[in-house]
Amino acid sequence: MPGPGFAVGVLFSRSGPYAAIGREGYAGAMTAIAEINERPGGPKLLADIRDPQGVTEQYAPLARDIVAGTGARHIVGCTTSWSRKDVIPVLEKSGTLLWYPCPYEGFECNEQVIYLGACPNQHVLRLFEYALPRFGANGYLVGSNYIWGWETSRIARDIIEHSGGAVAGERYVPLGDTDIDRIIEEIRLKRPDFVLNTLIGPSSYAFLRAYHELGQRDPNFAAEVRPVLSCNFAESEAAALGEAVAGHYVIAPYFQSLDSEDNRRFLTTARRLSTAQPDLSAFFVQAYTAVHMLADAIGRAGTDAPGAVRDAAMEQAFASPFGPIRIDRATHHTVLVPRIGRANGNGGFDVVDEAPTAVMPDPYLARSSLAVRTGGSSDRAPHLRVIK
Amino acid sequence: MNDRHFTPNFEGRRALVLHRPHELVEALSRQLRQLGVTPLTAWPEMADATAADLLFFDADMGFDGQFPWPEGMAPMPTIALIGSEAPGRLAWAIRQGADAHLLKPIGSGGVFSALVIASEAFARRAAMRAERDGLRTRLGKRQLVAEATACLMVQNDLPATLAYDLLRRRAMEAQLTIEAMAERITGALRDPNVRDRA
Repeated sequence: MPGPGFAVGVLFSRSGPYAAIGREGYAGAMTAIAEINERPGGPKLLADIRDPQGVTEQYAPLARDIVAGTGARHIVGCTTSWSRKDVIPVLEKSGTLLWYPCPYEGFECNEQVIYLGACPNQHVLRLFEYALPRFGANGYLVGSNYIWGWETSRIARDIIEHSGGAVAGERYVPLGDTDIDRIIEEIRLKRPDFVLNTLIGPSSYAFLRAYHELGQRDPNFAAEVRPVLSCNFAESEAAALGEAVAGHYVIAPYFQSLDSEDNRRFLTTARRLSTAQPDLSAFFVQAYTAVHMLADAIGRAGTDAPGAVRDAAMEQAFASPFGPIRIDRATHHTVLVPRIGRANGNGGFDVVDEAPTAVMPDPYLARSSLAVRTGGSSDRAPHLRVIK
Repeated sequence: MNDRHFTPNFEGRRALVLHRPHELVEALSRQLRQLGVTPLTAWPEMADATAADLLFFDADMGFDGQFPWPEGMAPMPTIALIGSEAPGRLAWAIRQGADAHLLKPIGSGGVFSALVIASEAFARRAAMRAERDGLRTRLGKRQLVAEATACLMVQNDLPATLAYDLLRRRAMEAQLTIEAMAERITGALRDPNVRDRA
């Protein structure tokens, strides 16, 4: 083994518009590195930490610094797709592998990236399969004004329209903007069956607080009547909002409340090693898992050479805090079990649904049916409607 | 339009790169200069659209209303710069009428083929538009041709086919299109001084 260990780039934004999620990724990666390094034997990891502060243009130069500086051949990090897209040229040029730990909007399969988070057939599609039969197929779409919001909403519209529903409205809010009164008023007038929220950071918090106030004024907008659905919402954010998010739904592969031996063991370790994050979400756990998979693959490959590590990582299933997962060889995405949590108002989520088996990633939605069953009286496929 | 022995040449042209400041813009500009094309940059507003005769635009962060022409009516060859292959973004680039595309990241190649393909597509687009406009004009004057034919039938006691032949012959003799000759004939008919004679 060369030197005292293998360098790993840690590239998360701990400030800026999505700092809450960036800090979780950072803490998750650092917790795993600490855990790996205190274990006797096995490869040690040396963190090369960079903070792009939420500025997209800073990711590529910092990734280049990591590669040129410590010579790291692996980077754990990036939150937004724009930052990932910007880092990819650096990865391709240097042969570095990026372990990307967040859900995203799909339509990418890069050879230099291992995708730990869910892609749309594992988040928004699965969430709609749960929600449309229960609440109805007419949705209102609100998101942050960038690719995650645009594309997740577009897929949502596609599902809604294939399922016999209608989109009651679609609005985008600039990153960091908290002026959402007009959106709340539009929802009040349009009375959709549910709201899909792809806002991030302060915009999301402002929206959820205002929607909660609407629900208190008018019980037609209570969470149990017209819930807000989200594919990117963390326990730490739910804790900060408390009662305001109670009853709303989030989809993720991991919730802190998971009742399993794997999760209890993980939580004990994480709380011992990381006091900075009292509430742990999928964003923490996916970054944590990425680092463990990386160390495990380095150990089995006997090298940190990206090609060998990638092959080793895809060779076998991996025991994560949210159960066994594996990386699909064809797409480099994770085969995982999506779970649906309902916020309980105390910062936690009660898991109300879990896919019966692990769901294969389908980043181009090539094999997924976008017509989902709705709450109608019939079991007919929704796209086979009677033509009068 | 292009022919197979023709060497495409962009020397002296000016290309506007509509993209936020980024190393991609530098890579693109380098390639453009190698081809003798002057790169101009702007973001997010287009500045003076008439200053350029080629356009590269960002499909990732581009937005509706960014161009000073109606959707899909760019008066120059356009090339979409695509990072995200999300269908929503591709649909937006298509709506803008991209004649070709370049996938990000941009290294040291690709710009020449994009320019050749875009210029060819633009020329085809322009030729088709001109042809369509011509056909539309002729279609609009169909009524006049029918009217002129009827007029010649009455004036010369001819069946329809011979009257139409006569119209065509007169158009040829006057070196006019059939529509223009028909317009002249029906116009003469509408002239109050002529009407008395009929």
